[in-house]
Amino acid sequence: MLKVKNLRTSYGKNEILKGLDFEVSKEDIVAVIGESGTGKTTLALAIMGLLRYQQDNVKISGEIVFNGIDLSRLKEDELKKIRWSKISIVFQNVDNILNPVIPVFKQIKEILNSNDGTSIINDMLEKMDFPVSRAYAYPYQLSMGEKQKVMLAMAYILNPEFVILDEPTSALDFESKNNLIKIIKELSSQKAVLLATHDLDTAQNISNKTVVLYGGNIIESGSTKDVFTNPRHPYTRGLIRSYPSETRTKDLQGIKGNPGFTDNGCCFWPRCTQAIQICKEEKPLLTESNGRKIACHRYGIIPLVSVSRIKKTYENRSILKSISFDVYEGETLTILGRSGSGKTTLAKIIMGLIKPDDGEICLENMKVTCWDSAFYKKVQMIFQDTRAALSHRLNILESVTEPLLIQKCKSNEEMVDAAKQVLSEVGLPGSDDFLYSYPHHLSGGELQRVVIARALILSPRVLIADEPTSALDPSIQAKVLKLLNQIQEQRGLGMLFITHDLGVARKVSDRVMEINNGILKEKILR
Amino acid sequence: MNKRWVSYIIAFFIIISLNFAIPRLLPGDPVSAIYGEDVMVKLSEDVKEYINSAYNIDKPVISQYFLYLASLFKGNLGYSLYYKQSVGKLLMSYMPFTLLLMGLAVIISSFFAFILGIESGWRRGKKIDLFLLYSIIISSGFPSFFIAALFLIFFGITLGALPMQGARTAYSGFTGFGITSDFLKHLVLPLSSLIFILIPPGYFLTRNAMLSNIKEPYILLARAKGLSDSKIRYGHAGRNSLIPFVTQTGMRMGTIIVTGSLFIEMVFSYPGMGSLIYNSILNRDYPVLQGSLLIVTFLVLIINFFMDILYVKIDPRIKYAH
Amino acid sequence: MHINTAQKLRKDKNAQAGIIIIILLLIFAIAVPIFTKAPDVFSEKILARPDCENLLGTNDIGQDIFSRLIYGLRTSLLVSVSTGLISTAISVVIGVLAGFKGGLLDIIFMRFIDAFLVLPVILVLIFVSVFIKPGIINLIILISLFQWQGTARIIRGQTLALKEKTHIYAAATFGSKKSYLLVRHIIPDLGHIIVVSFIYNARAAVFMEAGMAFIGVSNPSTISLGKIMHDAFKFYYLPAWVWWLLPAGLLLSMLLVSLTFLGNLMEKIIDPRLQNA
Repeated sequence: MLKVKNLRTSYGKNEILKGLDFEVSKEDIVAVIGESGTGKTTLALAIMGLLRYQQDNVKISGEIVFNGIDLSRLKEDELKKIRWSKISIVFQNVDNILNPVIPVFKQIKEILNSNDGTSIINDMLEKMDFPVSRAYAYPYQLSMGEKQKVMLAMAYILNPEFVILDEPTSALDFESKNNLIKIIKELSSQKAVLLATHDLDTAQNISNKTVVLYGGNIIESGSTKDVFTNPRHPYTRGLIRSYPSETRTKDLQGIKGNPGFTDNGCCFWPRCTQAIQICKEEKPLLTESNGRKIACHRYGIIPLVSVSRIKKTYENRSILKSISFDVYEGETLTILGRSGSGKTTLAKIIMGLIKPDDGEICLENMKVTCWDSAFYKKVQMIFQDTRAALSHRLNILESVTEPLLIQKCKSNEEMVDAAKQVLSEVGLPGSDDFLYSYPHHLSGGELQRVVIARALILSPRVLIADEPTSALDPSIQAKVLKLLNQIQEQRGLGMLFITHDLGVARKVSDRVMEINNGILKEKILR
Repeated sequence: MNKRWVSYIIAFFIIISLNFAIPRLLPGDPVSAIYGEDVMVKLSEDVKEYINSAYNIDKPVISQYFLYLASLFKGNLGYSLYYKQSVGKLLMSYMPFTLLLMGLAVIISSFFAFILGIESGWRRGKKIDLFLLYSIIISSGFPSFFIAALFLIFFGITLGALPMQGARTAYSGFTGFGITSDFLKHLVLPLSSLIFILIPPGYFLTRNAMLSNIKEPYILLARAKGLSDSKIRYGHAGRNSLIPFVTQTGMRMGTIIVTGSLFIEMVFSYPGMGSLIYNSILNRDYPVLQGSLLIVTFLVLIINFFMDILYVKIDPRIKYAH
Repeated sequence: MHINTAQKLRKDKNAQAGIIIIILLLIFAIAVPIFTKAPDVFSEKILARPDCENLLGTNDIGQDIFSRLIYGLRTSLLVSVSTGLISTAISVVIGVLAGFKGGLLDIIFMRFIDAFLVLPVILVLIFVSVFIKPGIINLIILISLFQWQGTARIIRGQTLALKEKTHIYAAATFGSKKSYLLVRHIIPDLGHIIVVSFIYNARAAVFMEAGMAFIGVSNPSTISLGKIMHDAFKFYYLPAWVWWLLPAGLLLSMLLVSLTFLGNLMEKIIDPRLQNA
């Protein structure tokens, strides 16, 4: 029904949409999601052919093919015939979107050319549960929800084939939002709908396909269910993680940096935690695989550690029976289990401290054959008993810089600087007093931070945290968990979090797997 | 209706008090200030008596003020020695011409100002807009009496096409249709120059309102709805531009109209209030001047009053706010 | 709201023209009288056509029209600048006080201001002047007394709006006194409005003085453009209007138009919606 090909728009020198390709077929409801300024409204206006009224010096290239006609090439009077009768739009509910001095009924009626539109309008309003007596009011006398209903009534009254909804629910309270979502679903059956929104709840509720926009580029698209349950682009995941949905239990995480869109290379690389050289140089193309499209040089979020078919038996007791899972970049996977369930064994196997009976471990898609210093540079572990994990003979500076000393990659001054930096990252002072104190001078919370700092000093990609907070008081635990969350947001660490505490698991995890009798199962948290 | 009426009453009392106070603040007694130094010598006894009773100069100032108020409310506006007539009657005979001139000019000029303002604002930055804008800015800089004088000289003398003075040709002996056409011919020049003067303020208001209104979101919605250009221009942008046009002019129009028509009448000797005032200045006929000031203020207040009513009708939000 | 006036001025050709005209008129009014004849001296030549001696001919009592024109312009400029200053000063004081203090004071001020605004000011001025026959100084004071209300209303409105601005609240939370807020924040923020008010008042004063003089309400000892037009208009049926009435009217109009241009520039600066127009 609607096919957008390589759509580019610019105001003067300012390019807003940078080559969009997507399709909306009949009975599709396509959600276009993204933060403000990514070009959602520009896209809506471009399809309506209204962009030039919004700004001077508008340039549009590419095609917007609607039922075989390229809308971007049509003249104003030809567009007028298509507008509203074939394609209608519900604009964002801003102040003065409805003419303040004309009763809303009249504003709906002026769309209909015939004089006997009253009954049609009344039917439409009834469908939306909008009291007809209120229709003769002026816009300022209506609530936000009522205004939104008026706008919907306008958009659907000519029974168009294609409807654009621009943030239809953004100004509404929770209850009216749900009510409106229901109405939109009813009205939109048998129609093609483009839903531009930053409200992920609405997008998830209404749409069956989702397009993720960032900096005027499509970076991911696919069926709504797939995109939301298994986001593949780091931005999509970041967006979902930042959104306070009803079912989400993990603490909110943002995306590092600020939305400044770059034109060199991938538009997302300055904020991406897995960016490599090519991301800064070349723009990734939107490529399809398994019904999903994604624009990423690394084909989406990469698995950092893949564990497959690990088996371990102790004294004839089978502790781990063919364990497999992946830890992705920037995510926290929690292994939940009772004490003695084998979670620590699993962690030690990954770290190469215990040999498994069978199975293999891959790091960044490469099978690990020997656990050398290159491996430990990328994978670090935080141990359960922090006091025991630090040597009482070494002062804090020596403890924290020990990994560097072992890797032999830095001079003494550089090591001190690096130590100060990671210490400040975990919220500890970098003063000489502190650096030259000994573990027994510090509290449990401080020690845990020192251990985390030590794990971070090699800039690992994966952090395995084995009950990192079980020895801490709740108030200290909260701080440490927040710290880990924050470090993950900044560094994009893949974290394997091992705990027996369901409450902690709920707050820190993106995914939770429970280990029971040596078998690992996905656990859905609600 | 807000608290404007309080201001109207205050305004009225300012004028009354000025009328009362100014002659009395001057050296000498108010009667000689108003009627001239030698008035008491020249006049007949009954006129003297009338004047003395009207001004109560032998009573204290406070009671003079209240007696003055009382006589005003009885409709007594004073007596003109020049015209040998009561000021009230005199004003009533001049008033219809002014009302006719003003009424027609306001209706016609509002129509043009509004249409031009809307068309000009809609075509912002285009040639026609710039042409209108600059020519109206420049013509608005010309003071009304200068414009009237130029109209008079150009159309009346250089072209010789239209009568320049008065409201009708004296001793013409016209009858029936002749009277009407003679009357209309006399009206053309004063009316068109008054219209010319009244267009700019309305035009600027409408154009400025249009400039901001065409950027409002409801205009984009109207376009999306596929409405015709003229419907968007007049039905949506124009409808909203009407509000400042009415409200702002409501505040200023009264004085602009009255001032404008006074100058115009003076220049064309059109027998309305303006000419009466002009003549009373020339003849030092102060009672007439005082009476005119009062009546003209009253006129302005009435115009404002109707504007206020219109204002509520035109902007539904006002009613809601109160 | 950061405003770069100089930059806006560079873009606005009308305002440049306005400034240039005003500067030229000022130079004209100040410097030229050194070379011209005394404006009050009568000569034998009556209603003469322009020649080398009398650039714009002579009037009905034999005075040189050109030199009278220059002195008339002086009067207009003097009236416009001083009335502009006085009435704007009054409107700033009253407007800021009403807006900032609010309450009963504001209500009383506003009722009175509105009352003055509906008066036919020029008629009131004519009426008062007919009785008290003011000289130039008194005329300036008189016009100022009836001119400040409009701009005071605008300044009050702006002050009210400014009072609600967050940066003013912020300054108040630092513990500043009201007088500090007034002097350091509100009055400087009103700067552009005050300039507009000055231009507006100056323009209105020029018009009123000229209008009064045109009607014949003027002090016999002052020469003004309006008065020249008043004298000239008596002879409108003679061809003399071309070098008598017309130059005076055009000079007056030029002054008014250039003030309008300046006022428009300032209005555009204050209301960004009017830009690009």
